[in-house]
Amino acid sequence: MLADKDFIRYSRQILLPECGEAGQQKLMQSRVAVIGVGGLGCQVAQLLAAAGIGELWLFDHDMVELSNLPRQLLFSEADIGQSKARVAADLLSRRYGTAVRALGKLDDASINLLDDIHWVVDCSDNFATRHLLASFCYTQQKTLVSGAIAAFEGLLFLQAASGASSVKSGCYHCLFPKDTESAKRCASQGVLGSAVAAIAALQAQMIQQLILDMPLPSGRLQRFDFRHFRWHEARVPADPHCAVCATRGETDPC
Amino acid sequence: MLNIQLNGEARQVDSAQDLASLVQAQGVKQTQVALVLNGELVPRHRWPHIHIQDNDNLELFSAVAGG
Ligand SMILES: [Zn+2]
Repeated sequence: MLADKDFIRYSRQILLPECGEAGQQKLMQSRVAVIGVGGLGCQVAQLLAAAGIGELWLFDHDMVELSNLPRQLLFSEADIGQSKARVAADLLSRRYGTAVRALGKLDDASINLLDDIHWVVDCSDNFATRHLLASFCYTQQKTLVSGAIAAFEGLLFLQAASGASSVKSGCYHCLFPKDTESAKRCASQGVLGSAVAAIAALQAQMIQQLILDMPLPSGRLQRFDFRHFRWHEARVPADPHCAVCATRGETDPC
Repeated sequence: MLNIQLNGEARQVDSAQDLASLVQAQGVKQTQVALVLNGELVPRHRWPHIHIQDNDNLELFSAVAGG
């Protein structure tokens, strides 16, 4: 049973038949990791905290910089030089009462903290972190919602904790194998904060729907071309040569 | 010559062309892009083995990792 105040606070969510009081309780009992507290991560973390997600774990070792402020809306000038994860955690717990843990860089050691997490949102800004995370989530059966943005291109990809699904769909490494290099990075290519927020909002929506047991297709790339304002969807089939998801024995050298 | 769509634009390409040479002709680095053929992502290692067909719909886009 929800407390009266929570019932009123989250009433617009509870009104959705797909959510209801039971769904709101699911949100409030969920623990979500947000990897990267930059443009995407700030928005995702705020939307999830405001929606009543029970616990958020924020991974980032960067400090707030002046050039972050147009799109990283949890930070202000007074925060410059401070830890992004720490500032975001303090603000979100103060404003929404969420239990937020500020954690450092996601690396080979700290990734094991994710053992206690079911839902992971990738908001990081480099392929090294993305590959480390996607590989971990695949082997440990965590649901990963990956978002990326640079210049006028936004990407959204769900790598579901598979198991039950009969048709095997591709994983993140099937989409972008290990040797993929980034042509576009926010730091070198530029980006508008609103485009970042749009992709982040979709990541937050996706993770909440998954928590509410609303199934979404895994292994499909959603790409928004902001320049032409057009959506593109592509199936990402399981690659028999994939370094992460290909079954051993099926893989033959090409 | 074959008629294809590349990123929404009509193009004519030489019939012998495979996906790898088409990507190369765009002047982009193979490891920095991804390619969708008729709604399905094609792994990079398959590009040299797939030849373009008439009416193929191709989407070539940058590998994006920004956050
Ligand atoms: Zn794979």
